[in-house]
Amino acid sequence: MRARSTPGVVAGLALLLLLIWPALSGCQFAQSSFASTASSAGSAFSAAATTLTFLHQGRLSRRYAASSFVNFKAELAGLDRQLPTLNGAPGKATLRHLLVLYRPAMQAVNAPCLDMACDWQAQIDALNRASKAFLGAGGS
Amino acid sequence: MKKWFSIALGIVTATGGFLDAGTIATAGESGAKFGLGLIWAVIIATAAIILLVEMVGRFTAVSKKPYAAAIRENFGFRFFLAPLICEIIAESLMLAAELGGVAIALSLLTGISWHYLFPVAALLVFAMAWRAPFDWIENGPAILGLVTLSFIAGIIALGGLPHDTLPTLWRPPVKSGDLADYLYLVAATLGSTISPYLLYFYSSGAHEEGWSGSSLLLNRVTAFLGMGFGSMGSIAIIVLGAIVLRPLNISGSTLGEVGLPMAKAFGVIGTTLFAVALFATCFGAALEVVLGVSYLIAQGFGWEWSENKKPVEAARFNLTLILFLLVAVLIGLRGTDPLQLALLASTVIALELPVALFPFLVLMNDPQYLGDKINGRWTNIAIIVILLLACIVALISLPLEILSGGG
Repeated sequence: MRARSTPGVVAGLALLLLLIWPALSGCQFAQSSFASTASSAGSAFSAAATTLTFLHQGRLSRRYAASSFVNFKAELAGLDRQLPTLNGAPGKATLRHLLVLYRPAMQAVNAPCLDMACDWQAQIDALNRASKAFLGAGGS
Repeated sequence: MKKWFSIALGIVTATGGFLDAGTIATAGESGAKFGLGLIWAVIIATAAIILLVEMVGRFTAVSKKPYAAAIRENFGFRFFLAPLICEIIAESLMLAAELGGVAIALSLLTGISWHYLFPVAALLVFAMAWRAPFDWIENGPAILGLVTLSFIAGIIALGGLPHDTLPTLWRPPVKSGDLADYLYLVAATLGSTISPYLLYFYSSGAHEEGWSGSSLLLNRVTAFLGMGFGSMGSIAIIVLGAIVLRPLNISGSTLGEVGLPMAKAFGVIGTTLFAVALFATCFGAALEVVLGVSYLIAQGFGWEWSENKKPVEAARFNLTLILFLLVAVLIGLRGTDPLQLALLASTVIALELPVALFPFLVLMNDPQYLGDKINGRWTNIAIIVILLLACIVALISLPLEILSGGG
């Protein structure tokens, strides 16, 4: 009986150890709401910049990019109102800096230059700047 | 010759049908956030699903009874209600996610917003589930799903793993504050791969195809090789995310993002392959979910059921199918992102795993059903380990969902 249950117990303990090893190394368990939201926003701005870059490099179809931007818009809309209310939000100066970068980046997300006719490079720059700032604010 | 064709088809079907919205969502996000650091979870989950699929196929082939009907028969109706209710809740979320996945795939191909394409996806699934014979449902999307093998070609085209990515395999880059996120993805990976609907669907499919004791080789090969190959698609998405998305700080939180590595590898053709793979896997999985739950309900209540019967000959089974699809459509029409829905569904599935898997331990050791084909010592130990794993995952999944904010 004892021999039968041993492999199960060992496997269970091994799994448990595997699951909790980062905790043993002294990691903080979860991010604050602000850090988590800012990181997600930074990541979404980076994805938008990459999508636009790939489109103008001919690696993506216009249809794929248009579809992707619908999701970026849904993910990033309303962030300017949400950020100041979140747990762990930084001081006013940092928030103001983020919002200054958020607005032009959001304009690019709402109306991305999917053709050569408009200034897509400026949009990519705005998205990258916002991405960097939000990722930094989120601690990434 | 026919036997070998069946075996080849079984492998192809299991390989192409392995991925779904849940596995793509968790794999994409895992690779993007933690490099190769969650591949171990995919391997453990794949080993578990291989064993469970082999067992449920053996059970049905030998006993000539589908798994759900045997649970009801052996444990009684009251016990049966527990997996039934859990499955209805978890899989309605998962079906909404799969329909959303189909809609997003169509959106990536057409440029039309997925919100408008969601009802189209539901209609496509309804039409196929309503009239197509079982072998079309089982083999059609799965064969198209072989496109997922192009993800492996994508890794090769990108030049393989960079030197700095490989160490993330044994040292996951879990930064301070990311632990809840990491563990949440572990639970979601296990929940999305060890899907109870797959067991109900596989068991009912074996019954629909009239499996017997002579089908055991087909069952074993399908489970081991098919599921084994299928998991490579999941691992390939993780690797692609680790190579392309992680250095760009993209978290892979939308399906369009998960397809970006294929754009880098193959350009427009790569993203088309990704969208086709997404369509095939989510369409196939949506059919499996809607049928799996309808089979579960019909078999549990003792109703007439079969995909090979005309709707009028299995009226209550087909009515269940329509109602379940309608529930998922109502959930999906709320506009929640399908990827987030898939992650949530995977967590809820993780929560119900012990309830869904416990009957295995009893049924697979009952000679009245299985004669001399009951489980051996090692397979029983394997079930106990899987159950233990399921219990741990169930305990941690909900707190982690809250702490991590849903990935």
